Amino acid sequence: MTDPVISADALHVSVGNKTILKNVSFTARRGEVLALLGGNGAGKSTTIKTFLGLMTPSAGTANLLGQNVQLQPDIVRQKVAYLPESVMLYGHLNAVENIRYFLSLAGKEKTDDDIALALKKVALQPHAWQTRLQSYSKGMRQKTAIALALLRDAPILFLDEPTSGLDPVAIDEFNGLISQLASQGATILMVTHDIYGACHVANRIGLLRHGELVGMFDAPQDGNIDAEVVHQAFTQGLK
Amino acid sequence: MIWRDIWREGYFLLRKKSVLLLLLSALGLSVFSVWTGSQEVAAQQATIARLLEADALDRADVLQQQNDYGGVAYYSFHLTYAPPSPLAFAALGARDVYPWKHRIRMLALEGQIYESDTGNPELAQAGRIDFAFVISVLAPVFIILLLHDLRASERAAGRDDLLNVTAHSRRALWPLRAGIIVALLSGVLLLPFWFGAFAHSVPCWQVATVTLVCICYMALIALLCYWVSGWLYPAPVLASMLLGIWLLTTYIIPALGNEAIEHSIDGPLGGDILMVQREAVNGAWELPYSHTMDEFVKTHPKWADYTEMSALFEWKWYFAFHQVGDQVAAPLSKRYREVGKKKYQMAGVVAWLSPATLLQRTLTRLAQTDAIAAREYEQQVRDFHEQLRHFYYPLLFTSPPFHRDVFKARPTFEPIEYTK
Repeated sequence: MTDPVISADALHVSVGNKTILKNVSFTARRGEVLALLGGNGAGKSTTIKTFLGLMTPSAGTANLLGQNVQLQPDIVRQKVAYLPESVMLYGHLNAVENIRYFLSLAGKEKTDDDIALALKKVALQPHAWQTRLQSYSKGMRQKTAIALALLRDAPILFLDEPTSGLDPVAIDEFNGLISQLASQGATILMVTHDIYGACHVANRIGLLRHGELVGMFDAPQDGNIDAEVVHQAFTQGLK
Repeated sequence: MIWRDIWREGYFLLRKKSVLLLLLSALGLSVFSVWTGSQEVAAQQATIARLLEADALDRADVLQQQNDYGGVAYYSFHLTYAPPSPLAFAALGARDVYPWKHRIRMLALEGQIYESDTGNPELAQAGRIDFAFVISVLAPVFIILLLHDLRASERAAGRDDLLNVTAHSRRALWPLRAGIIVALLSGVLLLPFWFGAFAHSVPCWQVATVTLVCICYMALIALLCYWVSGWLYPAPVLASMLLGIWLLTTYIIPALGNEAIEHSIDGPLGGDILMVQREAVNGAWELPYSHTMDEFVKTHPKWADYTEMSALFEWKWYFAFHQVGDQVAAPLSKRYREVGKKKYQMAGVVAWLSPATLLQRTLTRLAQTDAIAAREYEQQVRDFHEQLRHFYYPLLFTSPPFHRDVFKARPTFEPIEYTK
């Protein structure tokens, strides 16, 4: 058993008088995909923002590679690639320029071939690479952002609704990419509404409800998590 | 790493049409201000050259036409002027408020100087579009337009978190982006000034000082904008707040300060000096000779033995009562200058609440186009007029035979010389 790469330890987050996360604990080890499922307002995005150091927990700790992100904020910049929900990259730059900009911002250098390879992996049509993003569809922008996340070569990926806006073919391709990255050693925390997609790629699924982690489902050794079981648990909670 | 970061942010910013448009507008305004400043300075220099030539011809004519010293003294005009300094093109200052040229005569002087009044011109600065105006009043607007939405636009687009998490260091993003914007803006605003300074042979130390002062000023405004841009409000709210601060400090505070100063300090008007002096001069026609001569010798005892009149009219008497006219107006004139100095000092205190005014004062002081320079020029005129009296009084009171060669020793006005 390796040490956890991502671990939430009794995480408690409040904004004003409102409690958003209550005593949330989980771990994800190297090469694991952990998906957090939940309805709107369940605390999924707050969990990611807390791990990114963008929100401060009122109790508990969020740790990456054994380091508390509140005490060691640079661990996030160095080790994490983040894909926000509905990311709007810069409209006045094309896909390659956007990727170059963000890679440079992260202190990374990649060749044109590396960038082309990543854009092909996310199935963004080559004729669109030199087009400004202001004319892109939501799905095309999402693919560009995913390519950027891949190029970061980060050992930890945080994905907030990553398949939102993608067509079914692109979702399948994306899920394949996630599995591939995990098999190469990346640890991935994704929050999503997509139960079936999550069951397809995740080793573990946590079910969040009103800020509490109410269930954790582990994939069997040689298969996927049963989507029906998760769906039932998810919808029971909603009822 | 830092050069790569600078290159990245510079390239990124210059690809934004809005940034490019604002920078080009700033460049255009700066070029225009330097051009108008240069045109104005050239016009003033041309006026001086034209008047110098006409002035010399006029005096030569008078000398040929007159046959006594008094007649020459009475009919001769003498051009006095303050030439624009090399830096004047950048800060025209109060040169369009205070007179910078006179044609004075041997008559009473104070009325010739104070034919018009001036207030606190540095507190009523929305005038000519010179470089000082562009840098002090318009540059903050450009900084506000460029920096107010530094963070807010990213928040609105949902990129703020991504940018913060992606940046390899905190300094590599917001401070760097803001710094590059201000550096680019400073560059486009200062570049025309540097060309203008080279063309006008401005001393290097002045160019360096103006550059430093302008950069410090823009850095101050940029720091304020950077600080406000971090607040969690939408971009229009932040822009409104910053423009409100700009309006308050650039126009409202100076305007209120001007009103307060004008109401708090009471002093004579230039017209009062003119009236007192003219009444004294005109009244002298009705007074006995001895009255005027007694007053005259109080300040010029050297001529006490030469005050006897041998005719109904003598030039020495005429110029003596002009001298007395100046003596009568002297306390008022002194008070006028003291009040002007006090107003200038108080305007300096108000300027600390208005960075734009403070910058204008600094630039006009460097360019010697401010109220202090105007007062110095006035004093030069007084000194020159004193030299004329010193030249003419022996000729008027001792009545030597008339020789035109004597006028070769007549003083000529020497304007201030600027180091280049």
